[in-house]
Amino acid sequence: MIALNEKVSGSFRDPSGFMFKHDGKLYRQVNQKYQEEYDMLMSSGLYEQLNKSRTLVAHKEVDLSLAPQPEIAYKVIQPETIDFISYPYEWCFNQLKDAAILTLAIARRALKFGMSLKDASAYNIQFHRGKPLFIDTLSFEKYEEGMPWVAYRQFCQHFLAPLALMAKKDIRLAQLMRLYIDGIPLDLASKLLPATTKLNFGLASHIHLHAKTQKRYENKEVSQEQVKGRISKSALYSLLDSLLSTVRSLKVETIQTEWTDYYEDNNYTQDSFEAKRQLVRTFIEKVQPKKVWDLGGNTGEFSRVASDLQIPTVCFDIDPGAVQQNYDMVKKKNEKFMLPLCMDLTNPSPDLGWHNAERDSMQARGPVDLVMALALIHHLAISNNVPLIDAARYFADLGENLIIEFVPKRDSQVTRLLASRVDIFPDYTLEGFRDAFSLFYDILTEERVPDSERTLFLLMKK
Amino acid sequence: MNFLSINEFVQGATRTYLDPGSGSMIIQLVLGAILGLGVFVRLFWKNIKNIFVRGKENSEEDLDPTAVVESTMESSSEESK
Repeated sequence: MIALNEKVSGSFRDPSGFMFKHDGKLYRQVNQKYQEEYDMLMSSGLYEQLNKSRTLVAHKEVDLSLAPQPEIAYKVIQPETIDFISYPYEWCFNQLKDAAILTLAIARRALKFGMSLKDASAYNIQFHRGKPLFIDTLSFEKYEEGMPWVAYRQFCQHFLAPLALMAKKDIRLAQLMRLYIDGIPLDLASKLLPATTKLNFGLASHIHLHAKTQKRYENKEVSQEQVKGRISKSALYSLLDSLLSTVRSLKVETIQTEWTDYYEDNNYTQDSFEAKRQLVRTFIEKVQPKKVWDLGGNTGEFSRVASDLQIPTVCFDIDPGAVQQNYDMVKKKNEKFMLPLCMDLTNPSPDLGWHNAERDSMQARGPVDLVMALALIHHLAISNNVPLIDAARYFADLGENLIIEFVPKRDSQVTRLLASRVDIFPDYTLEGFRDAFSLFYDILTEERVPDSERTLFLLMKK
Repeated sequence: MNFLSINEFVQGATRTYLDPGSGSMIIQLVLGAILGLGVFVRLFWKNIKNIFVRGKENSEEDLDPTAVVESTMESSSEESK
């Protein structure tokens, strides 16, 4: 029997079942309590249809004896594996928007099959093979005629509030999702949103009025008679459609931020850019990684060298504009191996939630076979004062191999960074770089990028 | 009258583990009524229009999750051109 401590800590809330690990693989125990709903999902045609459209994670039923808690188990299922688990506070606007649209579409489809989506958490969506995928098989319950949507508040907190704040106030408010992992409180969203949003029917009702009503009925008990039978199925459809059109109307236009035009203004000629790409490709082919993380990958120019080789690649960047451009490209080209995410490497996603174990830190989701850090080290070392040794130690914690580009002080990008401050970085030289990184890595290859001041290294952890 | 707290009621009736929130339930009744009225008015208007204009019958738009995801993909790829 499997010890209870193999339970995956992010899935303790739902009494319908839980995730657990066995032999390194993820399974889900479905509890007897959920038997009726599970059977309904599987036999009503809902599972089949969602599965056919690749919007609900596929699973197979496996041996019940695997159940960690057999006395309450009904089934054990094995869902298909997701390459990388990401969280809403790491998504760009369009990723969160697509996740919201998918959640509503699934809620609507469930209703057609006589079921209701009881859980509209943004954490139930993952990006898999380039597209959003609903991953919680146990989120469906039997629809009862006349009942309101149980997950309405959750949907508004997890999706509508952050989307509205990002679109109508400031894109950086996405970070509130990291603070409030059960979604942004609606009274807070209502306070932060500009007054003009009260003229928008969707936002006025689903956020402002919603928050007011919450306040009014706070500490008030509502009777069964008051609620049941008072909202028809067609009114529920209208509610979902209203949410859908509200979400669809929210837009963040091409975000022109710091880095989005980086490639038009850098130290590379077209030829040396191509040469660098070729070098990266040679290094990747040498390592043959199963997974790649590209740190500070901007719009994914070099991450695509890996993802085009069908290697699942996560491209992290601090700039939500660059991440969104990357995501739009993934959608346009229907790319299956690229996952763009927002990440500030000087303050990466920490362990969050109950027991600090509900959401994993960035590092806990590694290590990977290959880390790439191109045109990044000067930002860490000079803009953020991280000593080279500490940068080397951090990268070594994240992965086995490292492709890293050293950008010397002669490079115009670094000159610019140093222009407004005193140069307190005497060790920031090619020799200093080699010394620092040699403490943690063996240098496999070192190549000067043609027509530039920069050097590309392939390193392997000691 | 038998008053139950919304929490007990929902847990008992639907086995839900989330607290849907009293206010969040009530506002759905209000919005459901308003939105329902909107649909009614639209249908009413369409019927009047149909008396004068003989058009093809529009079947209700069916939101297929795939179609939804794909249509957002199309629209955003158009935007990014």
